[in-house]
Amino acid sequence: MSGKRVVITGMGMFCGAGKDVTEFTDALCTGRSGIQPLDLFDVSPFVSHIGSQIKEYDPLDYFEPRVARRLSRTDQFGVIAAGQALQDSGAASSYSPYEMGVSMGGGAAGMFQGEIWLKGLLEGKNERPSLLHGILPDQTATDIARIYQLCGYQGTVTTACSSSATAIGWAADLVASGRQKMMLAGGADTLSILTFAGFNSLRVVDPNPCAPFSLGRQGISLGEGAAFVVLEREEDALARGARIYGAVLGYALAGEAHHMTAPDPGGRVAARVMREALLQADVDPARVGWVNAHGTGTPLNDVVESNAMKLVFGERVPQVPLVSTKAMTGHCLGAAGAIEAVATIIALNRGIIPQTLNFRGRDPECDLEYCHAGSRLSDCRVAMSNSFAFGGNITSMVLSL
Amino acid sequence: MKTTFTNIVISGSSAISAAGTGLVPIQELLRSGGDALSEIPFELLSAEGFRWGKVNGFKASEFMSPMKARKMDRCSQFAVSAAGLALKDAGIDLKQFAPERVGIVLGSGFCGVSNSAEFLSGYFNSGVEGLIPMIFPNTVPNAPASYASIEHGFQGPNATLVQRFCSAESAFMLACRYIEEGRADIMLTGGTDELIPLMITAFAAMGQMKRSSAPFGEGAGIIVLESAEHAARRQAPVKGVVESITSIGMLAAGREDEAFELLTDGVDASSLVTLSGTAADMPAILERISGRPMIDTGRAIGRSLAMGGSSLAILLASLAAGQQGYHLAASPEGPYFAIGVRGGSSVQP
Repeated sequence: MSGKRVVITGMGMFCGAGKDVTEFTDALCTGRSGIQPLDLFDVSPFVSHIGSQIKEYDPLDYFEPRVARRLSRTDQFGVIAAGQALQDSGAASSYSPYEMGVSMGGGAAGMFQGEIWLKGLLEGKNERPSLLHGILPDQTATDIARIYQLCGYQGTVTTACSSSATAIGWAADLVASGRQKMMLAGGADTLSILTFAGFNSLRVVDPNPCAPFSLGRQGISLGEGAAFVVLEREEDALARGARIYGAVLGYALAGEAHHMTAPDPGGRVAARVMREALLQADVDPARVGWVNAHGTGTPLNDVVESNAMKLVFGERVPQVPLVSTKAMTGHCLGAAGAIEAVATIIALNRGIIPQTLNFRGRDPECDLEYCHAGSRLSDCRVAMSNSFAFGGNITSMVLSL
Repeated sequence: MKTTFTNIVISGSSAISAAGTGLVPIQELLRSGGDALSEIPFELLSAEGFRWGKVNGFKASEFMSPMKARKMDRCSQFAVSAAGLALKDAGIDLKQFAPERVGIVLGSGFCGVSNSAEFLSGYFNSGVEGLIPMIFPNTVPNAPASYASIEHGFQGPNATLVQRFCSAESAFMLACRYIEEGRADIMLTGGTDELIPLMITAFAAMGQMKRSSAPFGEGAGIIVLESAEHAARRQAPVKGVVESITSIGMLAAGREDEAFELLTDGVDASSLVTLSGTAADMPAILERISGRPMIDTGRAIGRSLAMGGSSLAILLASLAAGQQGYHLAASPEGPYFAIGVRGGSSVQP
């Protein structure tokens, strides 16, 4: 990523661990997880009955009834988190509509509503067609652009679990290169029967809250939510007296070209992507204080990511904790990269390295520092965030104060 | 937002569409004024007179082993096959290049929807016993780009985008950026989409099936981008040069003209304009390109969310060396894209 330094001037968060940045920050600092029993749909047929669902959510607390009916659950989450970020930043009044855009990552999108329509069709019922309105992941960006009048670039990355990390990297590049003055970047996704049944059918869902990098871990806990950041050039942000939370220094991405669901066991491509992200960011690996892991809690993924860390940081790897905030947020799929980017920026601002929750025992194949014992104080100014996905899509981002 | 380029060439292209495999069948239809649209079976809509651009003659087994084909969804079969054809057209033997210097960014239409519906139908009809785990990985929209990278072996930048009828153009823009930044020497880009009976049922339920509107289509259009230096080093055939990309997310109230002026800045110098998505339905666009030779590819093969790849490939195939061409894509709620290209010669300049 070449060009001017890109800073974060606004953040929004809406997920099972917190319905705004303040709540989420408290959860991050105290190790409070959003994973609990699910009641969004019937989960009784499955091995796992838990996840990080946004509980006590009433769309009418946020939208007029007429508006709420037109937005899928994902669209609603996206609009809420995007609104928080824009309000926090105050940037929108400083630029013309065509200078501001939205780049976000999507996943299952409006599938939760689409499932109701499909089930009705199979049962011979006529469900309302508007349930299909948000079936494609691009609807959320369209709604956000329309509601907040962001008329510049509009795009949705759909690379499953790495979607929103790539979307933030691309948005930062659009700002750094001067193509846009301000970008709203992030991701939104919700729980759905499709993903819950899908991951359960693949036997990669832990019946207990996920335990990344722990001995005996059995897989992921699913989650839902949305997170957004407002990105501007540092000089523009300073000129308007904006509060600056941090910077997106660079990102890199690749396809492993190995297997649709299994990562390359050696972690070589993941390591290359992390190195390329550091190169793009012009950051020496010695400056990286910790890495927010993809850290799903699946037996294979956690080992691969640990192996990649060793390849990137070499002898220094014991001093670079690899932590997973998914034990707090669940795996929010298309929104995961954005939620983890915001978590990373919050932690850098708070001077902590977050805890990886739910330690069950030391796995000899995961032999790095994961902050299982608790969060720790840190004065580091640079951290990385990794996102891996079905299809072998890998994105790594470098963030700093 | 308008970006100009000086360093990106197009060295190969391909298409799989209702017209058949390759660009020639589409060009022949466009020349003759015909189309490859067929009747939508009566039982899907309980009505006659509706058409679609269904790809009927495609056999994935002609491009890959039957076992591999069975693992893939239809969008992925299109993408993997079209990617192979585009690489061949570009004269690229991937064994000669570092895999991390070759990448892919695809626009996805309804990719993953048919597998999602099949997977969920199994559950709704038979409970957990009806779930077919093998289908689930193919429910993600990035499956086509991922399978293409796995089958052809490229490990460079890899992404999938969807943004209404401009999904392929969105992908094209990002792929150009990765060449411009030097992240890759070769990028495959374009779009892939599929059309299944359930989607017709859904479109009808949503009131989107009208005899007066352009029919929906499916297929893939892939373009091979290279840095000019890389293409020159390997003495590649240059089929075109990317000159500019303009992107508008949506029209700002009261400032619509500003957007359309920006989008059509470059039309005057162009010998040919291709229209994609719903651009051919927009009076504000049609007024500004009035009198110019134009091609609406969707008329011949049907429209899809990711048809921009095929449309761009047709534009390049129709330009003489040095001629300028313009590609305009639009969606009803936005975004809008304009891509300026210059025709290349079949040999290295």
